[in-house]
Amino acid sequence: MSIEQAMHSQIFLTYLTIVGGLLIFAGSVLGILYLIGKDVSGPARTYRGWIMMIPIVLGTIFLGREATIIGVVLLAIIGFKEFARATGLYEDWWMTGTVYLAIAILGIVSFIPDPRLDQQGWYGFFMALPVFVIAAILLIPILRNRAKGQLQKVALAILGFIYFGWMFMHLGFLANTPNAYGYLLYLVFAVEINDIAAFTFGKIFGKRKLREEISPNKTMAGSVGAITVSLALPWLLWFSFPQFQPIHLILTGIIVGVGGQLGDLVISYIKRDIGIKDMGATIKGHGGILDRVDSMIFVAPIFFHMVRWFHGIG
Amino acid sequence: MKEWEYQPPPDIDATLAETLQNFPREPRMLPYTLRSIAALLLRGWMRVYHRLQIDGREHLPEEGSYILVCNHTSHLDTLCMMCAVPMKKIHRTFPAAAADYFFSSLPRSAVSAILINALPFNRKLKGAESLAVCSKLLENEGNVLIIFPEGTRTTTGEMGRFRSGIGRLVAGTDLVVLPCHLAGGVKAWPKGKLFARPKKLYLRVGAAQSYGKSEKSAASVKAICEDLQERVASLGRNSA
Repeated sequence: MSIEQAMHSQIFLTYLTIVGGLLIFAGSVLGILYLIGKDVSGPARTYRGWIMMIPIVLGTIFLGREATIIGVVLLAIIGFKEFARATGLYEDWWMTGTVYLAIAILGIVSFIPDPRLDQQGWYGFFMALPVFVIAAILLIPILRNRAKGQLQKVALAILGFIYFGWMFMHLGFLANTPNAYGYLLYLVFAVEINDIAAFTFGKIFGKRKLREEISPNKTMAGSVGAITVSLALPWLLWFSFPQFQPIHLILTGIIVGVGGQLGDLVISYIKRDIGIKDMGATIKGHGGILDRVDSMIFVAPIFFHMVRWFHGIG
Repeated sequence: MKEWEYQPPPDIDATLAETLQNFPREPRMLPYTLRSIAALLLRGWMRVYHRLQIDGREHLPEEGSYILVCNHTSHLDTLCMMCAVPMKKIHRTFPAAAADYFFSSLPRSAVSAILINALPFNRKLKGAESLAVCSKLLENEGNVLIIFPEGTRTTTGEMGRFRSGIGRLVAGTDLVVLPCHLAGGVKAWPKGKLFARPKKLYLRVGAAQSYGKSEKSAASVKAICEDLQERVASLGRNSA
């Protein structure tokens, strides 16, 4: 991945066209609805959020491997920060500091080449890192000779690192694969489409609640609609991964369609348990970073290992 | 099994701009780190570029809260005062800054809140409310408040009249006030100029004062202001 390659990558340019077209289309629809006197202030706010986010995401991927890895590291750090603030863990600077450092190390091992193999990204260390990080987190109460309330902090820190750091950073590691543009752009695009499909189908057909104790706005119809769209999408965008066979397309559809919604529900019940509405207010109209990347955290690592199993990452 | 108790901060839904303007601030890792680095760089810069000399540091109390009052000649005053307090107190040192100037935009708020650790002081409407924030701050042990009682920077170099705020804050309380005088600020950074010039700065910290025996009346507030003004001025005469 580099600027040079991005400019000649058919996949990158195609996605640029698709996303640009969709943005213009959505903007025109909103404009028309506004002109005929409908209240579009809610969707317009979301749309402004998109207008801000899409250029940042595409621009980062355009800049290449380094920028993509740094971008995911920053998202992971902000995501963990939101989690730590929401749970109250952020008051413990030893715990949060250790996790920040660990996420930065994830970024470094995703970046440097494997010393034994001729490969970008030190895969072996990336996969082994949780062992050392969990050990380090467990060590903190011992170092400061304190027991009261430590289990809760240790547990939150480990979950924070594993989920918001390590699992999410698989997305950054995908930048090392030969088909990085296809994988990254497809994942970002498909996960968002999956979210939008769930919302739209839910709005139109939704009656029965999906999981009313966790997220009262999600419906069965929305869920089924999203899975249907996500199962169809890999076939439409097959050019993203020309080496995929049909079975891989089906798996991709299931991973994005089901995983995306599970990721959403995970953040939902975390928020519900804590008793907050949004994880933060980082992006106007979209809540915190975690409210935006929740699905991706669940999808990216599973997709990564599916790809690695069938096609390798070197 | 008993359920865990989470403690999300009250400002979890605050946007960046709101977080920066909120006061008192929560201790947060990134601002603390940036502020520590900025304070170290500032100390080096002031010593090299302005050959800043600080006398009377021994008057600074080791424990407890205190107020530093100083004549106000330029933005350098705040920076010099921040160099005077010990490094370990940098996160508990709050220069009172005009909210209408230092918190008027997002970049300014960011610098004021993160690097300077400024206390947003509303000098026009709610003087009493801002003073209440100040006294609350000083109730906590070990906080330092930096105040420029003239309320604005001098253009002539002559020290202006001290406003009543400082008097109202300390009259009848045990609060400790240290009068300070900075010489050279007008020449080093005249009001309206973009950058400071490499002129020498000389900061003198005076002996601690307390006005616990004064009443809270207008007359005694005026007397305190005049007393402090005279002490600052006399530090200036001695250093000239």
